Parts: sequence; structure tokens; C-alpha cells
Amino acid sequence: MKRASFFHALALAIGLSVTATAASAAAPAKRVQVTGEIIDTWCYVTEIMYAEGTAHHQCAVWCAVGGIPVSILGSDGKVYVILKVEGDADTVANPKIVKIQTHKVSVDGDLYERDGVNYLIVSQVADDKGVVNLTHEEYGIQPFGK
Amino acid sequence: MKRTLFTALLGAGLIAGAAAMAAEEWGIDGEKKARFKAKVVDIACELTGDCPANCGAGKRQLGLLTGEGKLILVAKNQDIFAGGVEDLLPFCGKEITADGLMITTPHMPLFALQFKKPEPDGKWSRANWWGKNWSKANGGKKSGQWFKSDARVLKELKARGVFGIPGLKPPKE
Repeated sequence: MKRASFFHALALAIGLSVTATAASAAAPAKRVQVTGEIIDTWCYVTEIMYAEGTAHHQCAVWCAVGGIPVSILGSDGKVYVILKVEGDADTVANPKIVKIQTHKVSVDGDLYERDGVNYLIVSQVADDKGVVNLTHEEYGIQPFGK
Repeated sequence: MKRTLFTALLGAGLIAGAAAMAAEEWGIDGEKKARFKAKVVDIACELTGDCPANCGAGKRQLGLLTGEGKLILVAKNQDIFAGGVEDLLPFCGKEITADGLMITTPHMPLFALQFKKPEPDGKWSRANWWGKNWSKANGGKKSGQWFKSDARVLKELKARGVFGIPGLKPPKE
């Protein structure tokens, strides 16, 4: 019994220690609401092509399937890199995220600002208006045309 | 602009001819060659303390944490239209030397991984494992034009079209 209690206490101590380590790595989050367009982070940030709206939709699908981080381009002009959506941290080539490329969405979530990047844990997609940013007539189909 | 675009998109092909395992410029504004040691981390874990085994097994975005505590988002590898997760995942929680382009724009900083070497004494390899894995999963097909035949891409484009709006098609020329 004493031995069991000892190991129980040890396990608890280790557990607390692990929890403390994880917690110490955690940065404070800010509760935010973000409205904007789901974008491909690489093409938009590097500006290697026009990367908004219908003109870039196909390329955004390619990049999301290829595992490039997906972001929301907020109406405030900031880029918010999505790390989770409604509890699902599977953000690499996730069909649910591929499917909403270029959509205009409003989300609630936790914002973590770290070393110049805005990371967003989306707790709820409050609104999804679908694809509404019609840019293809001006910019064609990025990057290769048809 | 065109040169920049194609260099950035097809950097892998251009670099393939280079003898040295060292970063090449892609012609992107704000790029700077960078080689540094860092630990491979699951970014969501690093920020929130939610840490599944093996950095999420390839389903989470991965980053590089330097000895100074700087967290770097890896957005790209050498394969066209592909990220760096598959190049980093085997080294989850371990130190590597990363070589590539640190790109800092008014929007945000991010890193394009071109080569990597596990520390302390691993070998350099190209950051093209996304393409290699895609080839393996697709019967040995070459990955250079993967986006034209990928089943997931084709399914999505068939469902919602190239503009993301069902029924809206490019005008006929």
C-alpha cells in the first residue's frame, strides 16, 4: 500500500511536471473575432502572384492539398495562420479546409502572436459566405492561366 | 515578375542542378539565405500546450524553434505547391540544421526549407520529401506536375470548379 502510494505520488508529480512544462511553453492568447478570406499563405505573403479571390482559387486548392499553411486574410489586412478549426488540429491537407479555400468567413478564436506571426485557433466558424471575391475577370487564372 | 514567379514556384528544379546542398535565391522580395540550428516543433503544441505524440503525425503545421526561443513558421519546401511538414516530421522534437530562405515581408515572416540535416552528425538532404512521398503513394508517378493529377485536387475542382463557385467556368476563347 505504501509502495502504491509512493508510485501514485511520483506519477502525479511527473504528471504535474509535464503539465507545467507544457503550460510554460504556452503564450498568452487573445480572444478575437476575425472576418476575412481563406487564403494560401505562401502565395499571398511572398506576392509571387495575385493571390486573392476566384483568380487564385485553383492555386489555393493546390497549395492547401500540398500542405502549405492556410490563413485568413482579415479585413484589417493582417494574415492569421490557422492552426485549428473547431477543435480539429488537422490543418495539413485537411479536405474540410481545402473545401473552404477563398471563402469569406467570420470566426471566433484565440490569437497567439509570436515572432511576427499571428496564429489562430478557430473555436467557431460563425459565418461562411462562400466564395464572393470575384477577381478572375481582372486577373485571370493564377498562375498559369487555363 | 514572371521570372520571380517561376523561380519561386519551380525552385526545386533549378536547385536540382546545383552541386552543393546550400540555399539558392528564388527572387522573392524580402528573401535572405539562412542556415541555422533549431528544434522541430508542432506549432500548436508550442503555443497552446496541446501536444499529441509525434507532432501530430503529419497533420499539424510544424515549425523551427531556435536556441534563442524564436519560433519560425516553415511554409514551403522545394516541391512545387507543397509545404515542409513531411521534411520535418521525421525529426519531431529533435535538432536539425535548416537551410533555405527566410522571407520577411510587410505581411509576416516565413521560411522556405530547401535542405535539412539532422544533428549532431546526420547527412544533408533536399527538402523534397513531400514529392517523394507523393510519388510512392501514386505508383511511382513523377511528382513534378502532381497538382494536375492528384485525386484530392481533381475531386475538389470537379465539385466546385477552378473558381470555387459551382457552375462558374472560364470563358471560352
